[in-house]
Amino acid sequence: MIGLTPLPEPFDVRKFARTAQGSLRGDFDLAAFEVAPLPRDVLRMLAVLAHLEGATMAHLRNVLVTPTHKDARVTAFLVSWAFEKFWIADALRAVAAAVPGGELSGGIPGAPPRRGRGPVRRAIVGVVQGRSVVGAHLSLGLVDDWVLRAAYERVAAEAASAALSDVVDRILDLKARHTNFFGDEVQRRLSASKPAARLTRRELRRTALPLGSAVLEPADCAFFARFTFDGERGEALAAAIQRDIRKLPGMNERTSRVVRGAITVGSAS
Amino acid sequence: MAFDIDRYTATSVSVHWDDLDLATFREHPLPERSLRTLRYMADVEYHTVCYTRDLLTTPSHREADVSAFMTMWNREEFWHGEALAAVLAVHDITVDYDALKASRLKLGWKDRLDPIKQSVLGSLVGTDFVAVHMSWGAANEWSAITAYQRMAELEEHPVLAELLRRIARQEARHVAFYTSQARARLAASTKAQKITRFALSRFWAPVGSSISSTDDVRHVMTHLMSGPEGRRAAHRVDESISGLPGLDGLTIVQDALDGLGVPA
Repeated sequence: MIGLTPLPEPFDVRKFARTAQGSLRGDFDLAAFEVAPLPRDVLRMLAVLAHLEGATMAHLRNVLVTPTHKDARVTAFLVSWAFEKFWIADALRAVAAAVPGGELSGGIPGAPPRRGRGPVRRAIVGVVQGRSVVGAHLSLGLVDDWVLRAAYERVAAEAASAALSDVVDRILDLKARHTNFFGDEVQRRLSASKPAARLTRRELRRTALPLGSAVLEPADCAFFARFTFDGERGEALAAAIQRDIRKLPGMNERTSRVVRGAITVGSAS
Repeated sequence: MAFDIDRYTATSVSVHWDDLDLATFREHPLPERSLRTLRYMADVEYHTVCYTRDLLTTPSHREADVSAFMTMWNREEFWHGEALAAVLAVHDITVDYDALKASRLKLGWKDRLDPIKQSVLGSLVGTDFVAVHMSWGAANEWSAITAYQRMAELEEHPVLAELLRRIARQEARHVAFYTSQARARLAASTKAQKITRFALSRFWAPVGSSISSTDDVRHVMTHLMSGPEGRRAAHRVDESISGLPGLDGLTIVQDALDGLGVPA
Protein backbone atom coordinates (compact mmCIF):
# COMPACT_ATOMS: atom_id res chain seq x y z
CA MET A 1 0.00 0.00 0.00
CA ILE A 2 1.43 3.33 -1.01
CA GLY A 3 0.63 6.03 1.44
CA LEU A 4 1.72 8.36 4.16
CA THR A 5 2.86 7.03 7.47
CA PRO A 6 1.86 9.63 10.02
CA LEU A 7 4.76 10.38 12.31
CA PRO A 8 4.23 11.04 16.00
CA GLU A 9 7.37 13.21 16.06
CA PRO A 10 8.70 15.56 13.39
CA PHE A 11 11.30 13.86 11.19
CA ASP A 12 14.74 14.00 12.84
CA VAL A 13 16.99 15.43 10.11
CA ARG A 14 20.14 15.22 12.24
CA LYS A 15 19.53 11.54 12.96
CA PHE A 16 18.90 10.91 9.27
CA ALA A 17 22.17 12.64 8.37
CA ARG A 18 24.03 10.67 11.03
CA THR A 19 22.72 7.33 9.82
CA ALA A 20 22.74 7.97 6.05
CA GLN A 21 23.57 4.80 4.14
CA GLY A 22 26.64 4.76 1.90
CA SER A 23 27.66 2.05 -0.57
CA LEU A 24 25.41 -1.02 -0.61
CA ARG A 25 27.78 -3.18 -2.64
CA GLY A 26 28.99 -5.16 0.35
CA ASP A 27 25.42 -6.02 1.40
CA PHE A 28 24.41 -8.17 -1.56
CA ASP A 29 25.46 -11.45 -3.05
CA LEU A 30 26.10 -10.25 -6.59
CA ALA A 31 27.30 -13.72 -7.62
CA ALA A 32 23.66 -14.86 -7.42
CA PHE A 33 22.89 -12.74 -10.50
CA GLU A 34 25.58 -14.46 -12.55
CA VAL A 35 23.91 -17.86 -12.28
CA ALA A 36 20.28 -16.71 -12.47
CA PRO A 37 20.01 -13.96 -15.08
CA LEU A 38 17.20 -11.42 -14.94
CA PRO A 39 14.58 -10.85 -17.67
CA ARG A 40 15.54 -8.28 -20.29
CA ASP A 41 12.82 -5.82 -19.35
CA VAL A 42 13.87 -5.95 -15.71
CA LEU A 43 17.43 -5.12 -16.70
CA ARG A 44 16.21 -2.17 -18.72
CA MET A 45 14.18 -1.00 -15.73
CA LEU A 46 17.25 -1.23 -13.50
CA ALA A 47 19.07 1.00 -15.99
CA VAL A 48 16.23 3.50 -16.05
CA LEU A 49 15.90 3.48 -12.26
CA ALA A 50 19.66 4.00 -11.86
CA HIS A 51 19.40 7.12 -14.00
CA LEU A 52 16.34 8.39 -12.15
CA GLU A 53 17.91 7.82 -8.72
CA GLY A 54 21.19 9.37 -9.82
CA ALA A 55 19.68 12.55 -11.22
CA THR A 56 19.74 14.35 -7.88
CA MET A 57 22.15 17.12 -8.82
CA ALA A 58 19.94 18.29 -11.69
CA HIS A 59 16.99 18.31 -9.30
CA LEU A 60 18.97 20.18 -6.65
CA ARG A 61 19.75 22.82 -9.23
CA ASN A 62 16.07 23.38 -9.92
CA VAL A 63 15.25 23.49 -6.24
CA LEU A 64 18.17 25.55 -4.95
CA VAL A 65 17.80 28.44 -7.39
CA THR A 66 14.52 29.18 -5.60
CA PRO A 67 13.79 30.25 -2.00
CA THR A 68 13.87 26.55 -1.01
CA HIS A 69 17.63 26.94 -0.49
CA LYS A 70 16.93 29.33 2.40
CA ASP A 71 15.47 26.56 4.47
CA ALA A 72 18.45 25.04 6.27
CA ARG A 73 16.47 22.05 7.52
CA VAL A 74 15.38 21.15 4.01
CA THR A 75 18.85 21.64 2.51
CA ALA A 76 20.38 19.55 5.33
CA PHE A 77 17.96 16.77 4.42
CA LEU A 78 18.67 17.08 0.70
CA VAL A 79 22.43 16.70 1.24
CA SER A 80 22.02 13.22 2.78
CA TRP A 81 19.12 12.36 0.45
CA ALA A 82 21.36 12.93 -2.59
CA PHE A 83 24.09 10.88 -0.92
CA GLU A 84 21.81 7.88 -0.32
CA LYS A 85 20.34 8.07 -3.81
CA PHE A 86 23.84 8.15 -5.30
CA TRP A 87 24.54 4.80 -3.67
CA ILE A 88 21.11 3.39 -4.58
CA ALA A 89 21.91 4.15 -8.23
CA ASP A 90 25.31 2.54 -7.75
CA ALA A 91 23.71 -0.63 -6.32
CA LEU A 92 21.32 -0.87 -9.28
CA ARG A 93 24.23 -0.56 -11.70
CA ALA A 94 26.22 -3.16 -9.75
CA VAL A 95 23.35 -5.65 -10.00
CA ALA A 96 22.93 -5.08 -13.72
CA ALA A 97 26.67 -5.38 -14.30
CA ALA A 98 26.72 -8.71 -12.43
CA VAL A 99 24.22 -10.20 -14.87
CA PRO A 100 26.03 -11.59 -17.92
CA GLY A 101 25.38 -9.18 -20.79
CA GLY A 102 23.56 -6.82 -18.46
CA GLU A 103 25.77 -3.71 -18.67
CA LEU A 104 23.70 -0.57 -18.63
CA SER A 105 24.42 0.74 -22.08
CA GLY A 106 21.38 0.59 -24.33
CA GLY A 107 18.62 3.13 -24.33
CA ILE A 108 20.19 5.75 -22.10
CA PRO A 109 21.61 8.89 -23.67
CA GLY A 110 25.19 10.00 -23.02
CA ALA A 111 24.22 13.64 -22.69
CA PRO A 112 20.75 14.28 -21.35
CA PRO A 113 18.37 16.19 -23.59
CA ARG A 114 17.15 19.52 -22.28
CA ARG A 115 13.55 19.47 -21.36
CA GLY A 116 11.38 21.61 -19.16
CA ARG A 117 12.22 24.98 -17.71
CA GLY A 118 15.86 25.97 -17.39
CA PRO A 119 17.45 27.33 -14.20
CA VAL A 120 17.06 30.98 -15.17
CA ARG A 121 13.33 30.63 -15.74
CA ARG A 122 13.01 28.67 -12.52
CA ALA A 123 14.99 31.24 -10.54
CA ILE A 124 12.87 34.10 -11.86
CA VAL A 125 9.65 32.20 -11.22
CA GLY A 126 11.01 31.32 -7.75
CA VAL A 127 11.44 34.99 -6.88
CA VAL A 128 7.77 35.57 -7.65
CA GLN A 129 6.50 32.41 -5.97
CA GLY A 130 8.30 33.13 -2.71
CA ARG A 131 8.32 30.65 0.11
CA SER A 132 5.28 28.70 -1.09
CA VAL A 133 7.62 27.02 -3.51
CA VAL A 134 9.23 25.01 -0.70
CA GLY A 135 5.97 23.12 -0.09
CA ALA A 136 5.60 22.51 -3.83
CA HIS A 137 9.13 21.12 -4.13
CA LEU A 138 8.61 18.80 -1.18
CA SER A 139 5.33 17.58 -2.70
CA LEU A 140 7.12 16.77 -5.94
CA GLY A 141 9.64 14.78 -3.89
CA LEU A 142 6.81 12.90 -2.20
CA VAL A 143 4.96 11.97 -5.39
CA ASP A 144 8.26 11.07 -7.06
CA ASP A 145 8.91 8.62 -4.21
CA TRP A 146 5.45 7.08 -4.67
CA VAL A 147 5.99 6.62 -8.41
CA LEU A 148 9.41 5.01 -7.93
CA ARG A 149 8.08 2.75 -5.17
CA ALA A 150 5.44 1.49 -7.59
CA ALA A 151 8.19 0.83 -10.17
CA TYR A 152 10.32 -1.10 -7.65
CA GLU A 153 7.33 -3.24 -6.67
CA ARG A 154 6.76 -4.16 -10.31
CA VAL A 155 10.47 -4.88 -10.83
CA ALA A 156 10.54 -7.26 -7.86
CA ALA A 157 7.35 -9.02 -8.98
CA GLU A 158 8.44 -9.33 -12.61
CA ALA A 159 11.94 -10.59 -11.82
CA ALA A 160 10.75 -13.35 -9.46
CA SER A 161 14.29 -13.47 -8.09
CA ALA A 162 14.96 -13.80 -4.39
CA ALA A 163 18.30 -12.05 -4.80
CA LEU A 164 16.72 -9.07 -6.56
CA SER A 165 13.88 -8.92 -4.03
CA ASP A 166 16.50 -8.53 -1.29
CA VAL A 167 18.06 -5.60 -3.16
CA VAL A 168 14.69 -3.97 -3.79
CA ASP A 169 13.59 -4.42 -0.16
CA ARG A 170 16.78 -2.79 1.06
CA ILE A 171 16.37 0.13 -1.34
CA LEU A 172 12.72 0.59 -0.40
CA ASP A 173 13.67 0.64 3.30
CA LEU A 174 16.09 3.49 2.63
CA LYS A 175 13.57 5.31 0.49
CA ALA A 176 10.89 4.98 3.17
CA ARG A 177 12.80 7.50 5.28
CA HIS A 178 12.85 9.98 2.41
CA THR A 179 9.13 9.47 1.89
CA ASN A 180 8.51 10.06 5.59
CA PHE A 181 10.40 13.34 5.53
CA PHE A 182 8.58 14.57 2.43
CA GLY A 183 5.21 13.36 3.75
CA ASP A 184 5.71 15.00 7.13
CA GLU A 185 6.73 18.33 5.59
CA VAL A 186 4.00 18.29 2.96
CA GLN A 187 1.23 17.66 5.50
CA ARG A 188 2.45 20.52 7.63
CA ARG A 189 3.15 23.05 4.90
CA LEU A 190 0.11 22.45 2.72
CA SER A 191 -2.28 22.51 5.68
CA ALA A 192 -0.77 25.78 6.87
CA SER A 193 -0.75 27.69 3.60
CA LYS A 194 -3.35 28.03 0.87
CA PRO A 195 -0.86 29.68 -1.53
CA ALA A 196 1.49 26.72 -1.00
CA ALA A 197 -1.34 24.28 -1.80
CA ARG A 198 -2.32 26.28 -4.88
CA LEU A 199 1.24 26.39 -6.16
CA THR A 200 1.65 22.67 -5.43
CA ARG A 201 -1.42 21.83 -7.52
CA ARG A 202 0.09 23.75 -10.42
CA GLU A 203 3.59 22.31 -10.04
CA LEU A 204 2.27 18.75 -9.80
CA ARG A 205 0.28 19.26 -13.00
CA ARG A 206 3.15 20.74 -15.01
CA THR A 207 6.25 18.86 -13.76
CA ALA A 208 7.51 15.73 -15.52
CA LEU A 209 7.35 12.83 -13.06
CA PRO A 210 9.28 10.83 -11.99
CA LEU A 211 11.60 13.74 -11.32
CA GLY A 212 14.69 12.59 -13.18
CA SER A 213 12.75 11.76 -16.33
CA ALA A 214 14.19 14.84 -18.06
CA VAL A 215 17.48 12.90 -18.31
CA LEU A 216 15.79 9.98 -20.09
CA GLU A 217 15.06 9.43 -23.76
CA PRO A 218 11.30 9.62 -24.49
CA ALA A 219 11.34 5.90 -25.39
CA ASP A 220 12.67 5.06 -21.91
CA CYS A 221 10.05 7.26 -20.26
CA ALA A 222 7.32 5.40 -22.13
CA PHE A 223 8.90 2.06 -21.26
CA PHE A 224 9.02 3.05 -17.57
CA ALA A 225 5.32 3.98 -17.63
CA ARG A 226 4.31 0.78 -19.43
CA PHE A 227 6.35 -1.49 -17.20
CA THR A 228 5.11 0.13 -14.01
CA PHE A 229 1.48 0.91 -14.75
CA ASP A 230 0.33 -1.63 -17.35
CA GLY A 231 -2.00 -4.48 -16.41
CA GLU A 232 -4.26 -5.00 -13.45
CA ARG A 233 -1.53 -4.55 -10.85
CA GLY A 234 -0.18 -1.47 -12.61
CA GLU A 235 -3.59 0.07 -12.76
CA ALA A 236 -4.09 -0.51 -9.05
CA LEU A 237 -0.76 1.18 -8.31
CA ALA A 238 -1.65 4.19 -10.49
CA ALA A 239 -5.06 4.43 -8.81
CA ALA A 240 -3.42 4.32 -5.36
CA ILE A 241 -1.09 7.19 -6.30
CA GLN A 242 -4.03 9.21 -7.60
CA ARG A 243 -5.95 8.55 -4.39
CA ASP A 244 -2.99 9.48 -2.18
CA ILE A 245 -2.41 12.75 -4.04
CA ARG A 246 -6.10 13.56 -3.65
CA LYS A 247 -5.79 13.01 0.12
CA LEU A 248 -3.00 15.57 0.55
CA PRO A 249 -4.14 18.87 2.10
CA GLY A 250 -5.49 21.28 -0.49
CA MET A 251 -5.29 18.89 -3.45
CA ASN A 252 -8.22 18.35 -5.78
CA GLU A 253 -9.58 15.73 -8.16
CA ARG A 254 -8.27 17.50 -11.24
CA THR A 255 -4.67 17.60 -10.04
CA SER A 256 -4.62 13.96 -9.01
CA ARG A 257 -6.19 12.95 -12.33
CA VAL A 258 -3.70 15.01 -14.39
CA VAL A 259 -0.75 13.50 -12.52
CA ARG A 260 -2.09 10.00 -13.02
CA GLY A 261 -2.56 10.70 -16.72
CA ALA A 262 0.99 12.05 -17.03
CA ILE A 263 2.77 9.24 -15.20
CA THR A 264 0.89 6.57 -17.13
CA VAL A 265 1.33 8.07 -20.62
CA GLY A 266 2.18 5.21 -22.98
CA SER A 267 0.76 2.58 -20.66
CA ALA A 268 -2.67 0.99 -20.94
CA SER A 269 -3.52 2.09 -17.39
CA MET B 1 47.47 13.70 -12.16
CA ALA B 2 43.90 12.66 -12.92
CA PHE B 3 41.51 12.59 -9.99
CA ASP B 4 40.11 9.12 -9.29
CA ILE B 5 36.42 9.83 -8.75
CA ASP B 6 35.46 6.22 -7.98
CA ARG B 7 38.10 6.01 -5.31
CA TYR B 8 36.99 9.33 -3.88
CA THR B 9 33.29 8.40 -3.69
CA ALA B 10 34.11 4.97 -2.24
CA THR B 11 36.19 6.50 0.56
CA SER B 12 34.18 9.63 1.29
CA VAL B 13 33.10 9.65 4.94
CA SER B 14 31.66 12.19 7.33
CA VAL B 15 34.37 13.67 9.55
CA HIS B 16 34.27 12.01 12.95
CA TRP B 17 34.99 13.44 16.38
CA ASP B 18 33.44 10.84 18.73
CA ASP B 19 36.89 9.91 19.98
CA LEU B 20 37.85 13.52 20.74
CA ASP B 21 37.23 14.79 24.23
CA LEU B 22 35.31 17.98 23.50
CA ALA B 23 34.65 18.37 27.24
CA THR B 24 38.21 19.76 27.56
CA PHE B 25 36.80 22.98 26.13
CA ARG B 26 34.88 23.40 29.39
CA GLU B 27 38.16 23.62 31.30
CA HIS B 28 40.06 25.34 28.52
CA PRO B 29 37.51 27.36 26.58
CA LEU B 30 38.47 29.14 23.39
CA PRO B 31 38.70 32.94 23.55
CA GLU B 32 35.88 35.11 22.23
CA ARG B 33 37.62 36.09 18.99
CA SER B 34 38.32 32.44 18.13
CA LEU B 35 34.70 31.48 18.74
CA ARG B 36 33.62 34.24 16.37
CA THR B 37 35.96 32.84 13.72
CA LEU B 38 34.73 29.27 14.31
CA ARG B 39 31.14 30.40 13.98
CA TYR B 40 31.99 32.03 10.65
CA MET B 41 33.65 28.81 9.50
CA ALA B 42 30.63 26.71 10.53
CA ASP B 43 28.29 29.03 8.61
CA VAL B 44 30.45 28.73 5.50
CA GLU B 45 30.51 24.92 5.70
CA TYR B 46 26.75 24.65 6.18
CA HIS B 47 26.24 27.05 3.31
CA THR B 48 28.21 24.91 0.84
CA VAL B 49 25.05 23.39 -0.58
CA CYS B 50 23.99 26.86 -1.71
CA TYR B 51 27.29 27.27 -3.54
CA THR B 52 26.46 24.02 -5.33
CA ARG B 53 23.42 25.81 -6.63
CA ASP B 54 25.64 28.29 -8.46
CA LEU B 55 27.75 25.49 -9.90
CA LEU B 56 24.69 23.61 -11.00
CA THR B 57 23.23 26.44 -13.02
CA THR B 58 26.08 26.08 -15.50
CA PRO B 59 26.78 23.25 -17.95
CA SER B 60 28.98 21.44 -15.41
CA HIS B 61 26.10 19.53 -13.81
CA ARG B 62 25.76 17.42 -16.92
CA GLU B 63 28.99 15.68 -16.31
CA ALA B 64 28.79 12.51 -14.26
CA ASP B 65 32.13 12.93 -12.48
CA VAL B 66 31.30 16.45 -11.39
CA SER B 67 27.90 15.30 -10.20
CA ALA B 68 29.39 12.42 -8.20
CA PHE B 69 32.00 14.69 -6.66
CA MET B 70 29.47 17.31 -5.67
CA THR B 71 27.25 14.76 -3.95
CA MET B 72 30.08 13.66 -1.66
CA TRP B 73 31.60 17.13 -1.31
CA ASN B 74 28.31 18.60 -0.14
CA ARG B 75 27.94 15.96 2.51
CA GLU B 76 31.52 16.25 3.77
CA GLU B 77 31.18 20.02 4.08
CA PHE B 78 27.84 19.66 5.88
CA TRP B 79 29.59 17.45 8.44
CA HIS B 80 32.39 19.99 8.84
CA GLY B 81 29.62 22.39 9.85
CA GLU B 82 28.26 19.83 12.33
CA ALA B 83 31.74 19.23 13.80
CA LEU B 84 32.42 22.93 14.30
CA ALA B 85 28.90 23.36 15.71
CA ALA B 86 29.71 20.64 18.27
CA VAL B 87 32.73 22.65 19.47
CA LEU B 88 30.63 25.80 19.63
CA ALA B 89 27.93 23.92 21.55
CA VAL B 90 30.40 23.15 24.35
CA HIS B 91 30.81 26.92 24.62
CA ASP B 92 27.00 27.29 24.82
CA ILE B 93 26.74 28.68 21.31
CA THR B 94 23.89 26.98 19.45
CA VAL B 95 23.95 26.68 15.68
CA ASP B 96 20.61 25.15 14.73
CA TYR B 97 18.82 24.98 11.41
CA ASP B 98 16.50 27.82 12.40
CA ALA B 99 19.43 30.13 13.11
CA LEU B 100 21.00 29.21 9.76
CA LYS B 101 17.69 29.79 8.05
CA ALA B 102 17.40 33.22 9.64
CA SER B 103 20.83 34.25 8.36
CA ARG B 104 20.00 32.97 4.86
CA LEU B 105 16.75 34.94 4.86
CA LYS B 106 18.75 38.11 5.48
CA LEU B 107 20.59 37.69 2.18
CA GLY B 108 17.71 39.25 0.26
CA TRP B 109 17.62 40.28 -3.37
CA LYS B 110 21.29 39.95 -4.19
CA ASP B 111 21.18 36.29 -3.27
CA ARG B 112 18.05 35.70 -5.31
CA LEU B 113 19.56 37.29 -8.38
CA ASP B 114 22.90 35.53 -8.14
CA PRO B 115 21.89 32.23 -9.73
CA ILE B 116 20.19 34.09 -12.55
CA LYS B 117 23.28 36.19 -13.19
CA GLN B 118 25.62 33.22 -12.92
CA SER B 119 23.50 31.13 -15.21
CA VAL B 120 23.19 33.80 -17.87
CA LEU B 121 26.98 34.27 -17.77
CA GLY B 122 27.40 30.51 -17.81
CA SER B 123 25.31 29.99 -20.90
CA LEU B 124 26.96 32.93 -22.66
CA VAL B 125 30.43 31.51 -22.40
CA GLY B 126 29.39 27.85 -22.33
CA THR B 127 31.71 25.12 -21.18
CA ASP B 128 34.65 27.51 -20.73
CA PHE B 129 32.77 28.89 -17.75
CA VAL B 130 33.18 25.57 -15.97
CA ALA B 131 36.89 26.41 -15.76
CA VAL B 132 35.98 29.52 -13.76
CA HIS B 133 33.99 27.46 -11.28
CA MET B 134 36.67 24.85 -10.91
CA SER B 135 39.41 27.45 -10.41
CA TRP B 136 37.18 29.37 -8.02
CA GLY B 137 36.51 26.16 -6.11
CA ALA B 138 40.24 25.41 -5.95
CA ALA B 139 40.97 28.91 -4.61
CA ASN B 140 38.26 28.49 -1.96
CA GLU B 141 39.43 25.07 -0.86
CA TRP B 142 43.08 26.18 -0.65
CA SER B 143 41.98 29.15 1.45
CA ALA B 144 39.91 26.88 3.67
CA ILE B 145 42.82 24.51 4.33
CA THR B 146 45.07 27.47 5.09
CA ALA B 147 42.49 28.97 7.43
CA TYR B 148 42.12 25.71 9.37
CA GLN B 149 45.89 25.29 9.59
CA ARG B 150 46.35 28.86 10.82
CA MET B 151 43.60 28.42 13.38
CA ALA B 152 45.24 25.25 14.68
CA GLU B 153 48.64 26.98 14.96
CA LEU B 154 47.25 30.06 16.68
CA GLU B 155 45.12 28.25 19.27
CA GLU B 156 47.61 25.56 20.29
CA HIS B 157 44.66 23.57 21.62
CA PRO B 158 45.35 19.85 21.03
CA VAL B 159 41.71 18.76 20.62
CA LEU B 160 40.86 21.65 18.31
CA ALA B 161 44.07 21.10 16.33
CA GLU B 162 43.20 17.43 15.77
CA LEU B 163 39.64 18.19 14.66
CA LEU B 164 40.83 20.92 12.27
CA ARG B 165 43.52 18.60 10.93
CA ARG B 166 40.84 16.00 10.07
CA ILE B 167 38.71 18.61 8.35
CA ALA B 168 41.69 20.01 6.43
CA ARG B 169 42.62 16.51 5.25
CA GLN B 170 39.21 16.19 3.59
CA GLU B 171 39.54 19.67 2.11
CA ALA B 172 42.83 18.54 0.55
CA ARG B 173 40.93 15.94 -1.49
CA HIS B 174 38.53 18.64 -2.62
CA VAL B 175 41.50 20.70 -3.75
CA ALA B 176 42.75 17.70 -5.72
CA PHE B 177 39.43 17.42 -7.54
CA TYR B 178 39.09 21.12 -8.31
CA THR B 179 42.69 21.56 -9.44
CA SER B 180 42.63 18.52 -11.72
CA GLN B 181 39.42 19.82 -13.32
CA ALA B 182 40.67 23.41 -13.50
CA ARG B 183 44.08 22.46 -14.86
CA ALA B 184 42.65 20.33 -17.67
CA ARG B 185 40.02 22.88 -18.68
CA LEU B 186 42.38 25.85 -18.52
CA ALA B 187 45.11 24.03 -20.44
CA ALA B 188 42.61 23.18 -23.19
CA SER B 189 41.40 26.72 -23.89
CA THR B 190 43.01 30.15 -23.85
CA LYS B 191 39.50 31.62 -23.80
CA ALA B 192 38.86 29.75 -20.55
CA GLN B 193 42.14 31.14 -19.17
CA LYS B 194 41.15 34.70 -20.04
CA ILE B 195 37.64 34.40 -18.59
CA THR B 196 38.95 32.75 -15.41
CA ARG B 197 41.69 35.32 -14.94
CA PHE B 198 39.17 38.10 -15.39
CA ALA B 199 36.57 36.54 -13.04
CA LEU B 200 39.04 35.73 -10.24
CA SER B 201 40.90 39.05 -10.30
CA ARG B 202 37.70 41.04 -10.57
CA PHE B 203 35.21 39.18 -8.37
CA TRP B 204 36.94 36.76 -6.03
CA ALA B 205 36.55 37.49 -2.33
CA PRO B 206 37.41 35.37 0.72
CA VAL B 207 35.07 32.42 1.25
CA GLY B 208 32.08 33.54 3.26
CA SER B 209 32.11 37.15 2.01
CA SER B 210 28.77 36.66 0.28
CA ILE B 211 27.04 35.34 3.41
CA SER B 212 28.66 37.39 6.19
CA SER B 213 28.99 41.03 7.17
CA THR B 214 32.19 42.85 6.15
CA ASP B 215 32.94 43.21 9.87
CA ASP B 216 32.92 39.45 10.29
CA VAL B 217 35.06 38.89 7.19
CA ARG B 218 37.57 41.49 8.43
CA HIS B 219 37.60 39.92 11.87
CA VAL B 220 38.33 36.44 10.53
CA MET B 221 40.96 37.59 8.04
CA THR B 222 42.70 39.73 10.66
CA HIS B 223 42.57 36.87 13.16
CA LEU B 224 44.02 34.28 10.78
CA MET B 225 45.91 36.09 8.06
CA SER B 226 47.50 39.21 9.58
CA GLY B 227 51.15 39.68 10.54
CA PRO B 228 54.16 38.15 8.79
CA GLU B 229 53.00 34.54 9.37
CA GLY B 230 49.50 35.22 8.12
CA ARG B 231 50.78 37.02 5.04
CA ARG B 232 53.18 34.21 4.30
CA ALA B 233 50.24 31.79 4.37
CA ALA B 234 48.26 34.08 2.03
CA HIS B 235 51.25 34.26 -0.29
CA ARG B 236 51.36 30.45 -0.44
CA VAL B 237 47.67 30.27 -1.45
CA ASP B 238 48.30 32.86 -4.17
CA GLU B 239 51.26 30.86 -5.41
CA SER B 240 49.09 27.77 -5.75
CA ILE B 241 46.36 29.65 -7.64
CA SER B 242 48.83 31.39 -9.94
CA GLY B 243 50.37 28.01 -10.72
CA LEU B 244 47.26 27.06 -12.73
CA PRO B 245 47.56 27.45 -16.53
CA GLY B 246 47.21 31.06 -17.60
CA LEU B 247 46.77 32.44 -14.07
CA ASP B 248 50.40 33.35 -13.33
CA GLY B 249 50.96 36.52 -11.38
CA LEU B 250 47.51 36.53 -9.73
CA THR B 251 47.61 37.65 -6.08
CA ILE B 252 43.90 37.56 -5.28
CA VAL B 253 44.20 36.57 -1.62
CA GLN B 254 46.79 39.20 -0.76
CA ASP B 255 44.81 41.79 -2.72
CA ALA B 256 41.67 40.87 -0.75
CA LEU B 257 43.54 41.27 2.56
CA ASP B 258 44.81 44.69 1.45
CA GLY B 259 41.29 45.64 0.41
CA LEU B 260 39.98 44.73 3.85
CA GLY B 261 42.80 46.66 5.55
CA VAL B 262 44.21 43.56 7.26
CA PRO B 263 47.60 44.57 8.75
CA ALA B 264 50.58 42.81 7.16
